[in-house]
Amino acid sequence: MVREVAESCVDTMLMEMVAMYSGRFYANKPELAARRIEAIGYQVGHQLSERYTMERPRFSDHLEAIKFICKDFWSEVFKKQIDNLKTNHRGTFVLQDNKFRWLSRVSVEPSPEKETEDPSTPGESKAAQAVSMYLYFPCGIIRGVLSNLGIPCAVSADISSLPTCSFVIRVKA
Amino acid sequence: MIVCVSVVGHQNNPLYIQSFTDADDALKLHHVVHCSLDVIEERVNNPKKSGTTLNEAFLGLLYPTVNYKVYGYLTNTKVKFILVTTDLDVRDTDVTSFFRKFHAAYVDAVSNPFHVPGKKITSTTFAQTVCNIVGSYGLN
Repeated sequence: MVREVAESCVDTMLMEMVAMYSGRFYANKPELAARRIEAIGYQVGHQLSERYTMERPRFSDHLEAIKFICKDFWSEVFKKQIDNLKTNHRGTFVLQDNKFRWLSRVSVEPSPEKETEDPSTPGESKAAQAVSMYLYFPCGIIRGVLSNLGIPCAVSADISSLPTCSFVIRVKA
Repeated sequence: MIVCVSVVGHQNNPLYIQSFTDADDALKLHHVVHCSLDVIEERVNNPKKSGTTLNEAFLGLLYPTVNYKVYGYLTNTKVKFILVTTDLDVRDTDVTSFFRKFHAAYVDAVSNPFHVPGKKITSTTFAQTVCNIVGSYGLN
């Protein structure tokens, strides 16, 4: 029997996890909080990969595994597929999700001037930093899935334009 | 009759091994399982072009010894399931459905947040489920 949980519970738990780790446990050490959250994501990805690769035949190469993440895995976890996959055929993959589900409720501040983009404004970088804490968990999940499939890698996220979110996977040779 | 089932991790570390008979020496069965790991490696690294496809999970009969038949199953995450049976006539479909149920039980055991990946599976629920699957296999 499959037991289900309301999605709002998952959302709230993720928000609380980031708040606890960056606010209480590692209050002034965002790098340590990020590393801890990513490690939690790694274990979750590890276990989810066992479950979602059960029915499938084995993957023949790295691209097959990445396509599995883009289609089947993303639909199971986020109820949609990755919108765009780019690769440089040398071990780097960029997965772009145009409406990342876990960031869909984050408010996007409209920038006052569109012509001149000033990346050094403190308000913008603080907001970007706050949002980036929420991305360590999905990065960890992707890293956990890939390493359980035998592909060691490093995953980072890029949120230059919300709600579009890109995950960059660099496969370690 | 199934005499032994085993789960071996991707670094050939044993995660679970359970024998279902008191008659035979448990150590001998462990040895049989260990030897079959070599056969799996060979099967995976040198795929036979004829017949079995490269990417099937079920590896089929690994090697028949005097008394036993050993079947293998390789998951996507390089975890190997090994089944040792003394039946003389065994249908592939029976073994495949056994491995499928075993895989489902394994996934449930690994999803336990207190389970450390790479360490032995200590869940009593898993042991109980495996006993049930082995019991129901014999009835078919």
